[in-house]
Amino acid sequence: MKISFPYMGVPFVYKKVLELLGHDVIMPPRPSQRTIDLGVKYSPEFACFPLKVIMGSYIEAIKMGADTIVTSGGHGPCRAGFYGENHQQTLKQLGYDVDFIVFDGWRDNIKRNIQNVRKIKGKNSIFKVYKIVRLVYQMLQVVDSLEMRIQTLRAYEKAKGTCNKIWDAIQRKLDEVETKEQLEEFKKYFYDQLDRVELQEVAPQEKIRIGIVGEIYVVMEPSINMQIEKVLGDMGVEVRRSQYLSQWVEHNMIPFKKTHEDEILKKGEPWIEISIGGHAKQTMGHIVDYKQQGFDGIIHLMPFACLPELISQGIMPKISEELDIPVLTIPLDEQTGLANNLTRIEAFVDLLKNKKNNQHKTAVIA
Amino acid sequence: MGKIFIGIDVGSVSTNVVAIDLSGNLIFENYQRTNGQPIASVKRGLGELKKEYENVEVLGVGATGSGRQLAGVMVGADIVKNEITAHAVASIQEVPGVRTIFEIGGQDSKIIILQDEMVVDFAMNTVCAAGTGSFLDHQSERLGIPIEEFGDMALTAQKDVRIAGRCTVFAESDMIAKQQFGFSKAEIINGLCQALVRNYINNLGRGKKLEPPFAFQGGVAANKGIVAAFKREVGPDITVPEHHKVMGALGAALLSKEYITQSKQKTTFRGFESLDMEFTPSSFDCTGCSNQCEVIKVEADGQVIAMWGDRCGKWTNSL
Repeated sequence: MKISFPYMGVPFVYKKVLELLGHDVIMPPRPSQRTIDLGVKYSPEFACFPLKVIMGSYIEAIKMGADTIVTSGGHGPCRAGFYGENHQQTLKQLGYDVDFIVFDGWRDNIKRNIQNVRKIKGKNSIFKVYKIVRLVYQMLQVVDSLEMRIQTLRAYEKAKGTCNKIWDAIQRKLDEVETKEQLEEFKKYFYDQLDRVELQEVAPQEKIRIGIVGEIYVVMEPSINMQIEKVLGDMGVEVRRSQYLSQWVEHNMIPFKKTHEDEILKKGEPWIEISIGGHAKQTMGHIVDYKQQGFDGIIHLMPFACLPELISQGIMPKISEELDIPVLTIPLDEQTGLANNLTRIEAFVDLLKNKKNNQHKTAVIA
Repeated sequence: MGKIFIGIDVGSVSTNVVAIDLSGNLIFENYQRTNGQPIASVKRGLGELKKEYENVEVLGVGATGSGRQLAGVMVGADIVKNEITAHAVASIQEVPGVRTIFEIGGQDSKIIILQDEMVVDFAMNTVCAAGTGSFLDHQSERLGIPIEEFGDMALTAQKDVRIAGRCTVFAESDMIAKQQFGFSKAEIINGLCQALVRNYINNLGRGKKLEPPFAFQGGVAANKGIVAAFKREVGPDITVPEHHKVMGALGAALLSKEYITQSKQKTTFRGFESLDMEFTPSSFDCTGCSNQCEVIKVEADGQVIAMWGDRCGKWTNSL
């Protein structure tokens, strides 16, 4: 069994779990123009962008030898719930015979999830699986906290690109971590590295913080969201995003835990009452949450033709006005021309700076 | 010897160069088609400026528009700004108290909402060119009516014709159908103007409160038919500023003035002599990884002065 998985966020972590369980893992390449081309060619035309990119990833992984794919499902009426079936069928038509192991939220389909766990677990004892999952969850927490620091520091670093280099190193080094002790060392080493980043002095009223919300795949995967966090960081903006992997694991994999996401969903309730699938309700909740934390603005990323985010887009003018927080919605698809979106992002940052300083006329940033 | 600030707006359809004096008054404007050659048209525009103002001192230069990066590198601009901010800055000066700006250019259209001379919201067309100048251009060609006469002709329409404006494909087939029904060209053009405005407001104004006074700028503002359609849709309080065609460039000039005045910096303008330099932009596909980014390289007299387009920063940071 050669296992692969969709590429999203920090994929070394998925690789780690599977490797520690003793599987042969095929690491999918980071989505590139070729991945997108493949995905667009073989997916239904009307499907949403993430489905297409993931299709391309699978094809690339299969060509590298993968015969089994592990992925997550989705809740509610969002198309993400069909991804597994849709991908499998299309791949079959293309002549690739691969096995799919789809994990739904743990509450959604307990029977299938137990079957899946059996398949993945192999000959390992439940105790060992527990230990592995716990270690990987701790790794995620460390990586997420490092990333959050980077999302802040990137805005103020003196030499542009310093944080990006450290972030690349973090992802590479993570691959070597296999025990709790190594994780501690890893954490100490990189915290230290980040402490040494030289920073510019920026007055508090000049600091801008933007929260990125929206559909999980386009929010988490930089290679298909124009690397928006880096773009904003280079403009001197601090960012946070609505999804971090450790939070996703907490919410979907750990039974009975009261999580951050439950709180977010509660905050989203006044805006979208029922669960409509995808992350629309979380999108609303996060906007409320970011406002409460004193963020200056929101960038809302949605795959073109994403149903749940289309609904949340419709609510944006109202929530923006009532909470008094500017929102910029950016639909993403296979286009690579960035000029138009960069113009929007730049103008949005100008707008936030003006709003913050209540400056008349326009702030000038060279 | 006068002192001026220069603004350059390189758009997809037109390239505009303006000059302002120390109090921000526009003293020179040049509007021309880009024709896919931004470098040549910037050179022409600056050349005209030099002809008219032989011995001026240039205190600052601003660049905007979709070609702002290239233009900025080429002339050594002090400030390179997005066109939304540039348009707003110009409108605030030219239309006192403006609350809503409609801007329709060649390839894109924008709505900008202001409060107390501050941009508080904006929208740009995302998916479709139905509401823009290029589409009008195309239709004027198809109907055999010069674009300059388009607006006047629309005003002579006797009856209203409803044309679907959501998508250029639908609009065109609708126009052909209405032609076959026997409506006059004037009526069809008028219907088209109304469809464009309806589409523009539905698409960009979605969920926004559009408060007067309105300003209407961009190349399309020269079209009286569209102005009339706007009045019908949002009311009479709509101003087309005198320099409506070059507002982006005017904004860029004002921004450079503000920047230079505040920072007390000396301009980085390469001088009019740069007109004689040979600028060669070229591009290549980087083979460093599977992204295969198309990297843009600009050379001046054989020396590389700028690179961009790479996602990882390998080339951008190499200078």
